[in-house]
Amino acid sequence: MKIQDAILNKNNAGMRSCIWAFAALFSFLSFVQVDRAHSSALLADLENALMCTCDDKCGKVLINCTCDTSDKIRIGFTEQLESGLTVQQIIQEQVAKHGESVLSTPTKSGFNITAWAMPFVALVAGGLGIRKIIQTWAGRNRENAGSEKETEAEKPAKYSSRLQKELDKLDS
Amino acid sequence: MNEIGEFALMIALATSAYGCVTYIMAARGNRVDLYLSAEKVPFILSACVIVASAALWRAILTDDFSLQYVWAYSSRDLDTFYKISSFWGGQKGSLLFWTLLLTCYTVVVHIQNRKRNAMVVPYAMVVLMLITTFFLVLLNFSTNPFEVIPVPPEDGRGLNPLLQNYWMVIHPPTLYLGYVGFTVPFAFAMAALICKNLDDSWIRLTRKWTLISWFFLCMGNLFGAQWAYLELGWGGYWAWDPVENAAFMPLLVSTAYLHSVMIQEKKDMMKVWNMSLVLLTFVMTIFGTFITRSGLIQSVHTFDEATLGYYFLGFLGVIIVVCVGFIISRLPLLKSKNELDSFLSRESSFLFNNLVLLGIGFATFWGTIFPIISEAVRGVKITVGPPFYNQVNVPIGLALLALIGIGPIIAWRRATWSNLKKNFLKPLLAAVVFAAALFPFTPLGSRSEIYSYLTFVLCVFVMATILIEFFKGTLARRNLHDESVAEALGSLVWRSKSRYGGYIVHVGVVLIFAGIAGSQSYSAHTEKRIKIGESVQVKDFTFTYERLGFIEENATKTRAIAQVGVYKDGKRVWTGQPEKEFYKGQNQPVSEVDVLSTWKQDLYMILADFSEDESATIKIYVNPMVSWIWAGGWVIAFGTMISVWPDRLEQRRRLERMKIQSAVFSPAQE
Repeated sequence: MKIQDAILNKNNAGMRSCIWAFAALFSFLSFVQVDRAHSSALLADLENALMCTCDDKCGKVLINCTCDTSDKIRIGFTEQLESGLTVQQIIQEQVAKHGESVLSTPTKSGFNITAWAMPFVALVAGGLGIRKIIQTWAGRNRENAGSEKETEAEKPAKYSSRLQKELDKLDS
Repeated sequence: MNEIGEFALMIALATSAYGCVTYIMAARGNRVDLYLSAEKVPFILSACVIVASAALWRAILTDDFSLQYVWAYSSRDLDTFYKISSFWGGQKGSLLFWTLLLTCYTVVVHIQNRKRNAMVVPYAMVVLMLITTFFLVLLNFSTNPFEVIPVPPEDGRGLNPLLQNYWMVIHPPTLYLGYVGFTVPFAFAMAALICKNLDDSWIRLTRKWTLISWFFLCMGNLFGAQWAYLELGWGGYWAWDPVENAAFMPLLVSTAYLHSVMIQEKKDMMKVWNMSLVLLTFVMTIFGTFITRSGLIQSVHTFDEATLGYYFLGFLGVIIVVCVGFIISRLPLLKSKNELDSFLSRESSFLFNNLVLLGIGFATFWGTIFPIISEAVRGVKITVGPPFYNQVNVPIGLALLALIGIGPIIAWRRATWSNLKKNFLKPLLAAVVFAAALFPFTPLGSRSEIYSYLTFVLCVFVMATILIEFFKGTLARRNLHDESVAEALGSLVWRSKSRYGGYIVHVGVVLIFAGIAGSQSYSAHTEKRIKIGESVQVKDFTFTYERLGFIEENATKTRAIAQVGVYKDGKRVWTGQPEKEFYKGQNQPVSEVDVLSTWKQDLYMILADFSEDESATIKIYVNPMVSWIWAGGWVIAFGTMISVWPDRLEQRRRLERMKIQSAVFSPAQE
């Protein structure tokens, strides 16, 4: 039993380290912000961050939009970038002009944090739930396996004591 | 003929209502006479809907603009090919198409089960009839496709130019075949819950329905992506649009179900979970329909007259309440006979696979509905666009890719370290060697590039696990049966179709992952206004604008075509002809991109704009590995075909089971 437990503990410890390593990599990649220094990428950053504001309300993020208005918006942004405005300044200007809905993603502040956090909270909660279920089931199965073995071991002793009693009765 | 179509829909509604009542009474009262009567219902119902559909198609093909629907979605000069597809181009027609598929599926279910499963089938038919009744109520009372215009106009408005693409002809029917197909497993699951027959017989009965529906849903999504790539002209294929999400969510949930159901079949576990997943898949298909038809969420895919939101919301509510109610009331019967033994087991890996798939599904659902939640809570409608989904779903997707490799090679019940070492050492070694070899050549300057690098490494790991499985199996057969490699491989796959078909599907998924990684991180594009004779350089290619031509195709359509020569190392490799199409009565012209697709990359051109001096704005994309995504789709199709191919051994086993059943329940015995 002890050896089996040790193997299981070793297996679970290995599993745990794998999960931790993966979780660390996962968190790093989810939250790390990599600097984009290339100037050619600045317009792409803007196109990714903002929605098209055409009259048709096409509902497309600017980088995916092909309407005439989107072309004009791009030209405008290029000029603004060339005049020395930063991506953040242009975004702020757009938000002031069109409201928060011009942003292609929810901001990471206030109530909007729930948009970002909920999927991961659900995932972690689900993972913990599965862990709990497996631990409970695996533990219960180990106990059952153990008690079955004990019962098997008890059987000869039980029968031999009964046999002894019967023999004693006969003798008496 | 239009009156006949309208009348056929009324008869269909009456028939389906009659079918519901008779099937219920036949099942509850054990009345053979009623059952015999109900047996005719699927045929009559299907015939009525076929007549109605034929009437609508006739009206479209003969330019009968007295019908409001034909006027709104067709025109005299529309190609016959697209006239056929305008049947499902609008809300009313698409609902009729949905009903047509549903009634045809009901007939197939009826024929398949006519002489077996007498306990479950009547209840499954009740569920199918109830769903059909809901759609027929909508068609008769809310969105009648046979609505007449008092004074018929000379010509129709025509089909939206964006829908005039061959992928758009194939994409909606494929998606609908998947959507509607999931009604069958749902109906059998509900039937099993109603009649408390909760062993795995309903799973066996619906296995192929589930696989085929999953396949169509998968292909429907891919065809939709191909349409977006070729027609929307922004260089991409997936924009995380709410309606794209709505088609993606049932695919994720059904994939989770397809995996977890294996545990129930093998170990008689997770009954509640599987039941919940199959019900959730159906709920998600209706949720998708609700999004498309409610007008609640802004999308390029929503129908012009999206007015059915409340009907679908109510229907969705009823389904959820009924499903949850039944599952709760049957919980004691759904108790599993076995339990998991260890963290390190295939069962656990399948559970984590389910967690990850549902995690992506939930993130997608949450992102789709968050604008509504935000508006309700803060009074501010915000946008949740592609960057959100990419940031949230890509890392979870990487975990899924890793699990695709881990799941099939980890042992059932309990894996030991020696077992793990034996199975994982070679694939891990392959992945590490590949990672090291790739590292010097891969830019890792952005998050997207890091993700792509990890994706490639994981793809190699997964491919190695799959190839080793094929290799080991082939070698074993070769040694045992003295066969050639090709024979051994063929018989290995043939004798275990579901297992090796599944592996082939995984290969397809790996190709899709690799294609997404390559095209998302390493694409290059430029947009430039150039004159005739001028050139643009993108990556190793030189694009020279050569001329601009115009073709007046018909009274309503004019095409402007730019000719662009493409050179690599001074050699002409391709002549691209991107177009801009102008439709009379349409505000926006439509871009027709031109693509040269190879396994390495796509050269993708868009004619964005031009002026009188023949200068033009040309957008050029060099998108690496996009063709891998489409190839992955065909590999998935091949794998699914192998998985669902009729198995003689299984058929023999089923026949034996039927013989036993008929012996047990024969009149002589009674």
